Amino acid sequence: MQQSKSARALRTLAGWVVVGIFFFPIYFWTSVAFRDAKDIFNWPPIIVDFVPTVKNFEQVFGISLGFSFGQQAAVTPGGGNFYMAPRLWDSIVVASMSTVLAITVATLAAYSLSRMHFRGRHEFVNWVLSTRMMPPVAVAIPMFFIFKQFSLLDTYIGVILIHGLMNLPLAVLLLKSFFDDIPAEIDESALLDGASRWMIFRRIVLPMAKGGIAASAVLCFIFSWTEFLFVLTLTQTGLKTVPVVSSTFVTSIGTAWGNMAALGAAAIVPAFIVILLVQRHLVRGLTMGSLKQ
Amino acid sequence: MPIVQVKRIAISDSPWPWLLPLIALLVVFTIYPLIYNIWLSFHEFAPATRGLKFVGFANWVQLWNDTRFWSALGVTFVYFAVALTLEIILGMAIALLLDAELPGFGVLRAVLSMTLVIPPAIAGMMFLLMEDPQFGVLPYLLGQFGLLDKSTPILATSSLALAGVLIAEIWQWTPFMVLIFMAGLRALPVEPYEAASIDGASSFQMFRRLTLPMMSKVIAVAVLLRGIDLFRVFDYVFVMTSGGPGTATYTVSLYAWQQTFSFLKWGYGATLSLTSLIIVMVMANLFIRIAKVRW
Repeated sequence: MQQSKSARALRTLAGWVVVGIFFFPIYFWTSVAFRDAKDIFNWPPIIVDFVPTVKNFEQVFGISLGFSFGQQAAVTPGGGNFYMAPRLWDSIVVASMSTVLAITVATLAAYSLSRMHFRGRHEFVNWVLSTRMMPPVAVAIPMFFIFKQFSLLDTYIGVILIHGLMNLPLAVLLLKSFFDDIPAEIDESALLDGASRWMIFRRIVLPMAKGGIAASAVLCFIFSWTEFLFVLTLTQTGLKTVPVVSSTFVTSIGTAWGNMAALGAAAIVPAFIVILLVQRHLVRGLTMGSLKQ
Repeated sequence: MPIVQVKRIAISDSPWPWLLPLIALLVVFTIYPLIYNIWLSFHEFAPATRGLKFVGFANWVQLWNDTRFWSALGVTFVYFAVALTLEIILGMAIALLLDAELPGFGVLRAVLSMTLVIPPAIAGMMFLLMEDPQFGVLPYLLGQFGLLDKSTPILATSSLALAGVLIAEIWQWTPFMVLIFMAGLRALPVEPYEAASIDGASSFQMFRRLTLPMMSKVIAVAVLLRGIDLFRVFDYVFVMTSGGPGTATYTVSLYAWQQTFSFLKWGYGATLSLTSLIIVMVMANLFIRIAKVRW
C-alpha cells in the first residue's frame, strides 16, 4: 500500500516518540548507575545534566577501574562496598546449568513428540503445558519443605533443578515446533537405510534444528536470569542471583540506588547482547510456534 | 519427482525412552509438590512442638471467612484485567505502527525488545525510584503537565498504588505483546488486502474485517501466556509496595508467600497457593477450550 510522504513522516515520528517513551526508563536507570548521590537525590530530578562517575560500579564489583569522569563526592546513603561479583557468578552458573538441563531433557522429549505417533500424544502435550500454569508460589512453598528435607536449600543443585523445570514446558513446545519444520521424510528414508532413531536424532535432526535450539536456550537462560521468587524462597546466604540481590539494596538506612542501578545495568547488558544474536528465531519462541498455519 | 514410490514403513519404536527424563522431572517437581501442598493444607505449624499438626479443614474454613484473602483475590483480578486489556490494546496499536519498513524502524524494534531482559524485580525497583514523591522523575513530569500534584506519594496512596505498580508491569510487558503481534502481522497473506483495497475498503475496515480475524490465534496465545503470568504477579508488588498501603496491592501470591514465610502459617500458605493454582487452571483450561488453542 502506498502512503503519502506526509503520512510516512508522521508515522516515523510516532514510532520514534512511542519507542522513546518506552526507552526513557532504561536510559534514566542506566544514567543513575553513573551518578553521584547528590545527582540522584535532587529536586527537580536531573535528567541529563550530571557529572558521570564509575564509583557505583567500582563499589558493586569491588574493583578499581582506575579512571573517573569528574570529581568524586559523597557516598550513596545505605551504600557501601557490596562486592557483587560472586553474585553475578551465581547468576551465570544457575542460568547456564539450568538451561543445559532444560534443553537436554526437552530436545529428547520434543523429538519423540514431533516424530512418534502414540495414543494420548495430544493429551500429553497439554499436560506438559499445564505444568506451566502452576503459580510459582504454589511450587515454591512445598519445594521449600522438600528441599529442607533433602538439604537442597541454599545449593546450586536445588536452584538449577527448579529453574530447569520451570523452563521445561516452554522448551518442549518450542523445540517441538522447530522439529515439526524438518520434514519427517528425511527420518524415514534414513530409517530405511538402517539408521537408528538415536543416530538420526544426533546426526540429522539436531544439526538441522541448531538455530531453533539456540533460540530456545536463550529464552530459558533469560527466564532463569530474571527469576525472583524461587531464588528468594530457596536460598538464604549460600547463593543469590542478581534480581534477589538488587532487592536487598533497600536497607533501613536508605536505598543504595546508585549501586543497585550499576548492578542492574551490568546484568542486562549481556542478556541484551545475547537476545540480539538470536532475534530472528526469538519471536518464534515467544509465540511458542503458534504462528505456523 | 520420485519414480519409485517407497511405501511408508510403520515406525514401531516406542516414544517412552525419549520422554522418560521429562516425565520423571515433571512427576518429582510438579506432581509431588502438588500432593505435598494438598497434604500441607490440612496441617498447620504448631509453635509448641515446632512441627506440623493435623487441623482438618480448618485452613479451608479460614480461607472462606478471610476478608484479606477475598480482597487479595479482588486486587489480583483487577491487576490481571487492567494489565491484560491495556497490554493487548497498546501492543496491537504499537505493532501496527511499527510494522513498516521506514528508516530506523529496525532499531526501534530492537530497542523495544530491551525491556524483556530486565528482571521484573529490578524493573520494579526502577519504578520505585522513579515514582518517589521526593525526587522521582515521574511525579515531576506528571506535575509539569498538571496531571498530578508533584508531591503525591503514588505508591503510598491507596487509590493510586495499584496504578503505580501497573505502570511498571505495562511498561515491561507491552513490548512483549508488540513482538508477538508483529510476528503475527508479518505472517499474514497480502492477497485479501489487495482485494479489499481495490474494493475501496478503509484501513479501519481492513483491520476489523481482515487483520483481527486472521490474527485471532496469535492473540489467543498472547492472552494465554500473559494471562497465566499476570495472575501470579509477585515480583513487582513484593519490591514496590509489599502489598501496601493497607491491602491496596495485596495479591494472592504475595499473601500466600507472606503467610508462609513471614507468619509461619505453613498450612494456610499452602491452602492459599493451592487456591491460586486451581483458579489459574480453571481459567486457562476454559480459555483453551473457548479459543480453541492447540499445539
